[in-house]
Amino acid sequence: MPQLNFLLKIFLWFSVRHLRRHLGRALVVLFGIALGAAVFTSVRLSVHASLQSFTRSMDFFAGTADKVLVRPGGHVPEGVLPVLLAHPAVKEFSPLLTTYVRVHPAKGGAFLLVGIDPLLDQPFRSWRLRGGRTEIAERWLDLIREPKTVILTEPLSREIDTVAGARITLDHSRNRAEFRVAGVLVPEGLALVEGGRVALTDIATFQEFTGLFGLVDRIDLRLRPKTSPAQLEDLARKLPEEIEIRSPSAARDSGSAMIRAYQLNLSVLSFASLFVGMFLVYSLVALNAASRRRELAILRALGASPRLLFNLFLAEGALFGVCGWLLAIPLGSVLVKYLLHTVSQTISTLFVRVHVEGLLLSPAEVAVSFGVTLCVAVAAAFQPARDAMRVPPKEAMEIAHTGRLRRRMAGRLAAWAAGCLLACVPLALLPGVAGVPLPGYLAILLLFVGSALMAPWLLEHLGRAVSPGLRRLAGTPAYLAGRYLRDSGARTSISVGALITAVALFTALVVMIHSFRQTVELWVRQTVSGDLFVTTKMGQVNRFQFPIPAEIVDNLREAGSYADLVPSRRYPLAYGDFPYEFEAMGMEPFLKHGGFVWLQGEAAEVQPRLVAGEGLLISEVFANRTGLEPGDTFRAWIEGSRVELPVAGVIRDYRTDGGVVFYSWDHFKERFHDPQWSGVRFYFRDRSGDIDVQTAALRELLIGRWGDRLDMISGKDLREAVLRIFDETFAITSVLLLIALSVAALGITTTMTVLVLERTRQLNTLLAVGASSRQVRAMICWEAGFLVTAGELAGLLCGFVLSYLLVYVINRQSFGWTFLYTVDWGVLALSAPLIVLTALAAALPAVRTALREPPAMLLRER
Amino acid sequence: MDPTDSIDMMDPTPQPLIIARGLTRSYPLGDGAVIGINAVNLMVAAGEMVVLKGNSGSGKSTLLSLLAGLDRPTGGELVVAGHSLSGAGGVDLTRYRREVVGMVFQSFNLLPTLDVLENVCLPALLAEKPAEPVRNKALELLDWLGLRNRLHHTPAQLSGGEMQRTAIARALINDPALILADEPTGNLDSRNGRIVIDLLSELNRRSGRTVVVATHSDLADDLATVRIRLQDGALADPPCHS
Repeated sequence: MPQLNFLLKIFLWFSVRHLRRHLGRALVVLFGIALGAAVFTSVRLSVHASLQSFTRSMDFFAGTADKVLVRPGGHVPEGVLPVLLAHPAVKEFSPLLTTYVRVHPAKGGAFLLVGIDPLLDQPFRSWRLRGGRTEIAERWLDLIREPKTVILTEPLSREIDTVAGARITLDHSRNRAEFRVAGVLVPEGLALVEGGRVALTDIATFQEFTGLFGLVDRIDLRLRPKTSPAQLEDLARKLPEEIEIRSPSAARDSGSAMIRAYQLNLSVLSFASLFVGMFLVYSLVALNAASRRRELAILRALGASPRLLFNLFLAEGALFGVCGWLLAIPLGSVLVKYLLHTVSQTISTLFVRVHVEGLLLSPAEVAVSFGVTLCVAVAAAFQPARDAMRVPPKEAMEIAHTGRLRRRMAGRLAAWAAGCLLACVPLALLPGVAGVPLPGYLAILLLFVGSALMAPWLLEHLGRAVSPGLRRLAGTPAYLAGRYLRDSGARTSISVGALITAVALFTALVVMIHSFRQTVELWVRQTVSGDLFVTTKMGQVNRFQFPIPAEIVDNLREAGSYADLVPSRRYPLAYGDFPYEFEAMGMEPFLKHGGFVWLQGEAAEVQPRLVAGEGLLISEVFANRTGLEPGDTFRAWIEGSRVELPVAGVIRDYRTDGGVVFYSWDHFKERFHDPQWSGVRFYFRDRSGDIDVQTAALRELLIGRWGDRLDMISGKDLREAVLRIFDETFAITSVLLLIALSVAALGITTTMTVLVLERTRQLNTLLAVGASSRQVRAMICWEAGFLVTAGELAGLLCGFVLSYLLVYVINRQSFGWTFLYTVDWGVLALSAPLIVLTALAAALPAVRTALREPPAMLLRER
Repeated sequence: MDPTDSIDMMDPTPQPLIIARGLTRSYPLGDGAVIGINAVNLMVAAGEMVVLKGNSGSGKSTLLSLLAGLDRPTGGELVVAGHSLSGAGGVDLTRYRREVVGMVFQSFNLLPTLDVLENVCLPALLAEKPAEPVRNKALELLDWLGLRNRLHHTPAQLSGGEMQRTAIARALINDPALILADEPTGNLDSRNGRIVIDLLSELNRRSGRTVVVATHSDLADDLATVRIRLQDGALADPPCHS
């Protein structure tokens, strides 16, 4: 303890007072690290809020079930209930149905309607009605006694502006009916599912309302204690073959895994801002260590141990970490407001439906954020602290300081850099660990570290190569700038390293997003082709579970005289724990008008097989997750049919993070069962006229005939919506990118200012020996120009390598998809000079600082 | 030929090179001001070897920085080699520093990233003189100063005496009429200090160049033609001519 007190006192005297004397520099660095910490923290908190909301929702929904019975792609018949009643392993069971409905006339969005047997469900899920004891019992018994009754949660009753006893009309894919609100739930247990946007009804009412007579989505089971695996196997044998016994947490686990993968990707991306901030801390602590060598030598001469000096500079880094993190709190609270909504929307679009009501401040996340910020800042101070502890006490006796050149260091660092860069290659080829691309992330880290370590060598050689020519072309200031940077050592190159990181990130993300968008555009043009898309009402939100009623299908077929119809039926399934969609689609008319983006297999060879029903197509994501490839056999239970078909080809598909399997609708019906239509798309045969007009006319016709029993969207609007969602998804990435670039610009500002401040004497010497102010300013601008050019060139190079890693390693291992690699030369060509100009503008404070001290200072300093 | 012989800026008849009338430099501090030098009257003829002495804070460095064109007077008049420095603008002062004065500093102030030859050439290059004649002139000066074998060494690889001789060569590269030396022996041992003072004296004697040396040391006393003593920003005694 006395030692700590002593260290604190010396730290206050030696370090804090020095930082206060140079407050401007310290504040810039603090702001940089705070911005990085704010981005990192708010991104993690935002995704965590979605994850928490999702898992909590799933946990409340799963309740206390030990196992769940499901029928892949379809509904479980209630006929299995006698088997469950009779089996010794089953203690209790509860059938369950869910669907999304909305209030008519429209008030608020769709919410989840849960159908349960209130008596059987008691041991499984907790839910409680508001009111007195007798009143409560009466109300929940109403669910059983009185058809068309419903219980709402408080937030939902507020949203749709209703109360217990009132009547509401609910809309569903297949029906519209009036319900009496029997009561309101206390906000606990099941009432917290989906952010409280949930309603309960009796299972019989649910089946009548949705037309699912005798069918349920799943049956939750509670097993008797000490049920053996053999008893479970016996139960499985007694159930129909297509019924699966699953873990109740399977859906939660697969959903959580997807959100966690997204969180990891965003965390890595947001860490880049913190990583760039790390350069800032290094830059300032290294400056303090270098410019205070004489003071350090005096301290050593007075008896300070090397460890004390080491601890002093490490504490300086820690101070930046702690203060930066504290400053990040207000910055983060602004940022998180934007991110919370955007992140949950992206997760809902790409992975699973989440409802984030507000920010849940997780102590673990706060600790991670604090720990990472502190570690980054302390790690940044480590090398300067080591340099400080090596200052010999005899330097206190020296007077002349001629600058210490560390020319050999550049070569040594370049050797380390080459090692890091070479190590990227085998790492990039390694598979992910448990679905997480850890070797890929390590390769990216090594790529950044390698590029930053290469900076001193790059600057030395750039300075050496261009200085002589520049003297002839641009005069002595340019020559002096080149010579200075050639020999300026690690601190200057650290700033270049920061710029390399930011430019690399910028280039890589521009390439990745452009490649992704170009590929998605191609996919949208080909696979999402069609003039009008029709599904059942609320088909999308209910994942196309409810087919279009037969009478409507018959009517839709009449359009066949002037349009080609491509019917489809989508089944949400799972391959092990991996969720995917099986889509039976009218293959022949689809291939006539649209197509697939092929990855494996020749279109000319595979398409006839598809039309003939001799094989199916799997998406790249599905192929990567399951390991299936052309020639393998796809196997699945779908609505009671055992489907076994050869894989004919692999295609690109970006519909969801899950995979997709395509098969001919006609042949599915012929070989297995009638899948019915969950949607249909129209292609007008006559393409000479105005397609928009034809589409609008058909739409009007269908609305006139079927009112709002169908959901419709024109192909043009759907394709635009897909691309808009894509752009919104990458809005977060763009924000993070801009922040990383801003931090890098701060780095250039700090470095240039520091370079000027530590060379005040040299700059004044130049003035004393005849340099004009203009020449000195020109020299500083040239120095900034060199730094930025070196950072930009190396950053571009590093960025292209990084983009390759992102497209072919990180995306493939995280999400299972890759894209056609295309470079947006236009954006890069436009942005390169913009980045150079921004960074040069960041050097302006240094130019202003350069001549602030009068040159006569030369004669006063001793 | 001695490279310093080629300097032909000197007027054949000794005329005042430095004229100071009521020269004052004060520095604002809070509501008041700190006086650097106060109403100094001085006249130094061309070709003199001036030794400027005085305790710390007496105003030596202030006077030297005014003579060097590194600072501007706040009062009085200062004319050096026909250049009035009292109302001179930045461009005029830059031209003055390039053409009229050469500076030698206590801490040498060589640029650490440049080698000896480059340091010496620097003032001429900044004055945008052609590179080849400048290089030849620098080689002559370095040869004369015994640094021919150190051309491509950086300052970090030189001894204190070598660094100061390099600084003298740098001060001479633009053929200035006035050499100003601020404590040139302050960071040197007595042997090297003697060498530097002898070199400055030789410069004065052989080329008739005016040299002003501000120093605490007595090394230059016997070589001075004019001795000036400053005290509290003013001349302690009238300039003493030997």
